[in-house]
Amino acid sequence: MKLLIIASLILCLPLLALAQKSRKAFAYDYTIDDLRNDLRLITIPTDYPNLVALYIVVQTGSRNEIEKGKSGYAHLFEHLMFRGSEKYSGQQRDEILKKAGADSNAYTTDDRTVYHEVFSKDDLDKILELEADRFQHLKYPPDAYKTETKAVLGEFNKNSADPEEKAYEVLRATAYQRHTYSHTTMGFIEDIEDMPNQYDYSWEFYRRYYRPEYTTIVVVGDVKHDDTLAMVKKYFADWKRGNYAPEIPSETEQKEPRENHVDWPSETLPLVYVAFRGPAYSDYKKDKAALDLLAPIAFGENSDLYQKLVLKEQKLDTLSYYFEDRADPELFLVSAKVKDVKDTDYVRQQILETYKRFATDAIPQTKLDSTRSRLRYEFALAMNSSEAIAGSLAGYVGLRRTPLTIDKLFALYDTITPQDIRETAAKYFVDNHRTIVTLSTKKEVAK
Amino acid sequence: MNRRMRASLIVIVAIAAAAILNNASLKSKAATTGRTPIMNSADTNTVLLPNRSPLISFRILFMTGSAADPKGKEGLASLTAAMLAEGGSRSKTYSEITDAMYPMATSFSWQVDKEMTVFSGTTHADNLDSYYSLIREMLLDPGFREDDFARLKEEAINYLKNSLRGGNDEELGKEVLYTMIYPGTHPYGHQNVGAVGAIEKLTLKDVHDFYTANFTQTNLVIGLAGGYSESLPKTVQTDFAKLPKGKPGAARMSAPTQLPGTKIQIVQRETRSTAISLGFPINVTRADKDWPALAVVASYFGQHRSSNSYLYQRLREARGLNYGDYAYVEYFPRGMFQFQPDSNLGRRQQIFQIWIRPVEPPNGHFVLRAALYEYDRLLREGMSKEAFESTREFLSKYVNVLTATQDAQLGYALDSRYYRIADFPAYMREQLAKLTLEDVNRAIKMYLKSDAMRIAIVTKDAEGLRNAIIGNKPSPITYNAPKPKEITDEDKVIESYKIVVKPVDVVVVPVEKVFQ
Repeated sequence: MKLLIIASLILCLPLLALAQKSRKAFAYDYTIDDLRNDLRLITIPTDYPNLVALYIVVQTGSRNEIEKGKSGYAHLFEHLMFRGSEKYSGQQRDEILKKAGADSNAYTTDDRTVYHEVFSKDDLDKILELEADRFQHLKYPPDAYKTETKAVLGEFNKNSADPEEKAYEVLRATAYQRHTYSHTTMGFIEDIEDMPNQYDYSWEFYRRYYRPEYTTIVVVGDVKHDDTLAMVKKYFADWKRGNYAPEIPSETEQKEPRENHVDWPSETLPLVYVAFRGPAYSDYKKDKAALDLLAPIAFGENSDLYQKLVLKEQKLDTLSYYFEDRADPELFLVSAKVKDVKDTDYVRQQILETYKRFATDAIPQTKLDSTRSRLRYEFALAMNSSEAIAGSLAGYVGLRRTPLTIDKLFALYDTITPQDIRETAAKYFVDNHRTIVTLSTKKEVAK
Repeated sequence: MNRRMRASLIVIVAIAAAAILNNASLKSKAATTGRTPIMNSADTNTVLLPNRSPLISFRILFMTGSAADPKGKEGLASLTAAMLAEGGSRSKTYSEITDAMYPMATSFSWQVDKEMTVFSGTTHADNLDSYYSLIREMLLDPGFREDDFARLKEEAINYLKNSLRGGNDEELGKEVLYTMIYPGTHPYGHQNVGAVGAIEKLTLKDVHDFYTANFTQTNLVIGLAGGYSESLPKTVQTDFAKLPKGKPGAARMSAPTQLPGTKIQIVQRETRSTAISLGFPINVTRADKDWPALAVVASYFGQHRSSNSYLYQRLREARGLNYGDYAYVEYFPRGMFQFQPDSNLGRRQQIFQIWIRPVEPPNGHFVLRAALYEYDRLLREGMSKEAFESTREFLSKYVNVLTATQDAQLGYALDSRYYRIADFPAYMREQLAKLTLEDVNRAIKMYLKSDAMRIAIVTKDAEGLRNAIIGNKPSPITYNAPKPKEITDEDKVIESYKIVVKPVDVVVVPVEKVFQ
């Protein structure tokens, strides 16, 4: 017998509770504290030892970029926030994080910007102080600003090697005409190229959105609530509330199917993106929940369409869907990577017919039940560390500032019937709300 | 009791004791652990991490991989693993398997590297029996159907032709670097997924033969973590005893011989930017006593995806040249998609690597010079006391982040078994505590000095860049904002920094020829 046993020091009692007693989707005990300046703190002690995950969620994303020529600033800020503040230069900040053994990063989406760190529990106080300083007293001179805009351009450039990024960019620009979802989080290239000239505007952006009423601090891990709250008060209580509320232009009614094509300059498999306008996130209206349940049934790896086009006929390299929880109405997108350019029309037709089919035929109850089960287990399986819990929560906090919305959403899933799904599909999957984008190697390059 | 078993039991006792000392509530678990070694099945290598989580993680590891691909059949290991994890079993089609996994929200992943092939998945305890019976069938009773074979073979070809060559310059550059370092005759000398021409010729019989020869009890290590029942390890061992016994592992592998001098391969591709990777083989793996010293150096010089590193500070932070710049002493694929490395990429041979993320083409020559300039400076100056202390402190804590999930813990435990070191977090903390600045600076001189640098570049104007490099003409840089004098003075040195390379050693390759 060759046997090696390593006793894991990790106990996952909160998850055990999920299995034993709770049907609540978010099975952790949490505390919400609102400071007088409207900053919110959510504290979730777990039994994962030693580590703390700190997620600071700002309810600002590319959706908030309402001025023409100013796309990409939420994301640019994600970068600028690492450039230093009143008390700590970028370098000092890095040194402190390094001593804490921290994994530190940030990301931006359409609706939110999230700053996150995972580190040893003893360093929580210091890191909260560090965070408080950059959220309230960010400092970057014009030269550092210009340098950072080049890093953002570098990021755009690295992404631009990927045809899927391009197809998605064109899809958004085609499907939305007024709403800020018309650009991706990176922003339009011409706006990125103009960023070096917009130092003053960048401060305007900071003053508007880096405010306590837009911000929620999520602390998960080996922590105590009272101590955490005291630290957050110590460093964030003086943060001044703002008063800016953007007027996000609402999208006009789409009255005709739209289409666009991208000629890709090098060899690639053709892409077919078929999207319909869908609803915004909601934890009480059925539309988004019904389509969430439909998405894997109609277009997931177990769907008839996937079985047919990917496995049996082998026309596709990949078939996937993308339908995020968003503050405003979001596209329900199905994307296919086609093996042979000759099959592009066929694939597109098959996708369209599938959309139609679910608008007319009700799905079997058993399929719906197994999908509900899937969503629940998917959520439970994702919660495998303090960071994973904080990370899963960040998206919901960005939308509703409370974990309660998760339980409401899963309770809503339980009420959805096959009839609801059919009706919702019929309501949203209409030709006039459709946008199709295709991409293929341009003729001169194709062999 | 053989020697290895005794060593293992010592580990158990030591860790269980530590656990009890650290936390009284762990007593009950330690007791469970104590009972687990009842398994007296014959020869199954097993790594167990019992805990009370309702999630159960499997890592079924086979000590085989693309290094075992027969000559002319490059890609066979990868395709065989794909057939097991993404093909049907004898009694169920692949669709039936994914249908069965659907309500459990589970999947079964696979990863093939040079010497390791791992199948992994996590299930909720509610679904343990159903999940395990599915993966058992997939691995022990594969269907090997023609339709799965045709699909997965095409997927492999498309990965090389389109995803790698046509959609990811950074990964392409890194993989090209490996093929430059390991010649085609070396077992590491081809991409893990294979070569297009070879994959096209593979047959289902090849897969069958590879499976029988390599998916054996000798090559198997079972890894389990989570709140599984006491009987599960024994059940898994008994089931997997069905695999053929197999022959002992691969023979010795010689280190690749590197002709002295710098060699540069420029992959010509229609792309907006220029991706650069450079490196050379190092004769150190996690199994060696100097590895922790090199891990400190790599972290200091270029901690993956972190602003806390020297290269990042010099190239991105001070100059805004690109999105990031990192350094490695172990293989780290898919780095653009993830912050932490995957486990079970154990290798007997590793390279030192610098990854320069895409830069604007006019700056390509300057940035390459800057990377070499900083690398030479590292060799010349080593690390300062201050940098050493802070990096050591960082890594001692960062091992907690690396092993934050039970799946990661299991992966690291399997790797520690492979490298014959103690459990990774404890090992690292202990080694780092002992390490001195002198150890680190000695390791830099001993292992990181190479007169055989290999450089892979992906860019559009490959000929233009080639001419610039062999011409060794100055490549001044301009910025959109004034820079401090310290930077502009340094830029003057960098813009003329000599890259010593013979014209014949700077080769342009059209992208279509790569991994063909």
